[in-house]
Amino acid sequence: MYRIRFHGRGGQGMKTAGRILGTAFFLAGFEVQDAPRYGAERRGAPIFAYVRASRNPIFERGIISRPDLIIVADDHLPAMPGSGVLAGAGEQTVFLIYSNEEASLWQERLNLQGSVFTLPPLAENELRFRGAACAGGAAALLAELDVELLAEAVREEIDPLGSELVADNLEVALAAYAALAVNRGTVHEGGPVSAIDYASPDWLKLPCEETLLSAPAIHAPATSEMSQTGLWRSERPLIDESRCKRCWWICSTFCPDGAIQVDEERRPHIDYGHCKGCMVCLNQCPTHAITAVPEEEAAAQGEKP
Amino acid sequence: MSDTPYQHLRDLPAHHILGTGTPMCAGCGGLATLHQVYDILGEKCVIINAAGCMTLLSVYPCTPFHGSWLYTAMASAPAGAQGVRDGLDILKKKGRLSREEDLEVVVLTGDGSANGMGLSATSGAMDRNLDFLYLCYDNEGYGNTGQQYSAATPHAARTATSKGSLGYPGYKKDLFAIWAAHNPGYVATVVAAEPLDLARKIERARGLSGPRLILALAPCPTGWDFEPSASVEIGKLAVATGIWPLKEYVDGRVTHTKIPHPRLEVRDYLKAQGRFAHLFAPRENRKMIAEIQARVDRYWQKVD
Repeated sequence: MYRIRFHGRGGQGMKTAGRILGTAFFLAGFEVQDAPRYGAERRGAPIFAYVRASRNPIFERGIISRPDLIIVADDHLPAMPGSGVLAGAGEQTVFLIYSNEEASLWQERLNLQGSVFTLPPLAENELRFRGAACAGGAAALLAELDVELLAEAVREEIDPLGSELVADNLEVALAAYAALAVNRGTVHEGGPVSAIDYASPDWLKLPCEETLLSAPAIHAPATSEMSQTGLWRSERPLIDESRCKRCWWICSTFCPDGAIQVDEERRPHIDYGHCKGCMVCLNQCPTHAITAVPEEEAAAQGEKP
Repeated sequence: MSDTPYQHLRDLPAHHILGTGTPMCAGCGGLATLHQVYDILGEKCVIINAAGCMTLLSVYPCTPFHGSWLYTAMASAPAGAQGVRDGLDILKKKGRLSREEDLEVVVLTGDGSANGMGLSATSGAMDRNLDFLYLCYDNEGYGNTGQQYSAATPHAARTATSKGSLGYPGYKKDLFAIWAAHNPGYVATVVAAEPLDLARKIERARGLSGPRLILALAPCPTGWDFEPSASVEIGKLAVATGIWPLKEYVDGRVTHTKIPHPRLEVRDYLKAQGRFAHLFAPRENRKMIAEIQARVDRYWQKVD
């Protein structure tokens, strides 16, 4: 059975990618499961989608803990603990990541034992078809999925979302397929997972406590600031001090997260540890003092997050 | 509004007290509302949160609040508020809580709870003249679970449960009127895109007692399908097209606090959101757009 796990952020089309790959398998005569993991649905947050495909009936359910193929749509994800990108990766696990960096660099950085590939870069206007690129790239690594099956699956899954979207998605998916086609068949089916080796953990016996003790209580204020939501961002808003009119309230009030504070000299400061990159500030600043810079570029210029 | 401390935009709070790092979506119109409201209400309140997107605000050990937060089931936030209010009153009576230490009891729910399964508990709380503030972030659907339609979903909107060329067949429930019919202390509509109007209304609600509703339109990039950066523009368009009338109810009278003049066409608002895309492609559904426009026009005719 193939066990395949897609990782991306909400909005990057991982659910669609899983569906395209699942449908391609189905068209190839496989029994298929494809499902995104239910969670709070929101943009920017780590999203998982799972595909299982087998020639035999599938009795496994739920999350995929030992994947044969991991596809990562956003190269910021491996650094986020909550994304669980590497969970269960072993010697047989093939790793496919959308990144401008070399595959060998990712292999070393993440200490991966299996093969590592990168997806070809997309143009700025193609980024919204990232899901199709991931599905296309994944299909290329699987011996049973040829280009016709992929194309049919893309048509079948994208058409209900808008027939005008089919051509662009198809182009991106096929380009990703073509770029990775030399590696066809790299991914191998994993063996059956059996419960026979299951060892029950050393359960701890916890006695019942008084409600006042056992009910969770948070005693410090605003502890949410421990969560670094700045990691969600793909672009960084930068304030051009020379154009800022020190109005002090516009960007600061409209920032949905309250991540822009104003100092006594009426100078706004963006808290990059928590700015999610929504760019409401950029759109609202009347003097256009705020610009969006790709996160990599900002980091390369030494702008500390 | 001559008595408000919020005369000009520069009077708005410069310091924001709601903690950052919450898991709300980038560009969330509900969070934008909450952080503006919290700046005015201050730290001295207890939040009673019904199930919804904002349940995720306080997930142990993280909270963006400086004070207490209580989670209730979807239908029972006003009942939770009753318990908290009673508890505070008992402490006051016993001399264990001074007047200065008293807290504002604030119910926080989405439109699903406010218009649907929580409405009975809300109506009951109004029967009992419970002294509480109800903040509803109305993103016109069950956003936390993937934007299924709610009783607050507008006519023709596409949701996860109203797909197809016609969208949602029902009409948005008039929660403002339902509340006003109970003759409560205060009812107001707000939107984070109009922060001065919002600040004045929160300040006014704070000075009143009894049941008080702040009904906030909460543009939702995820559920309404628009770029997060357009969150404020969408809110402004909702006001400018007359789709979201800014108004308040006090002492049996409804006053409109910002009358858009001239009103923009509703299509400007509809076209900016993916959830109405089926009204414009593959072919423009003129009839339905005209119907939505006519409903808005009829509303404002009554106001004028």
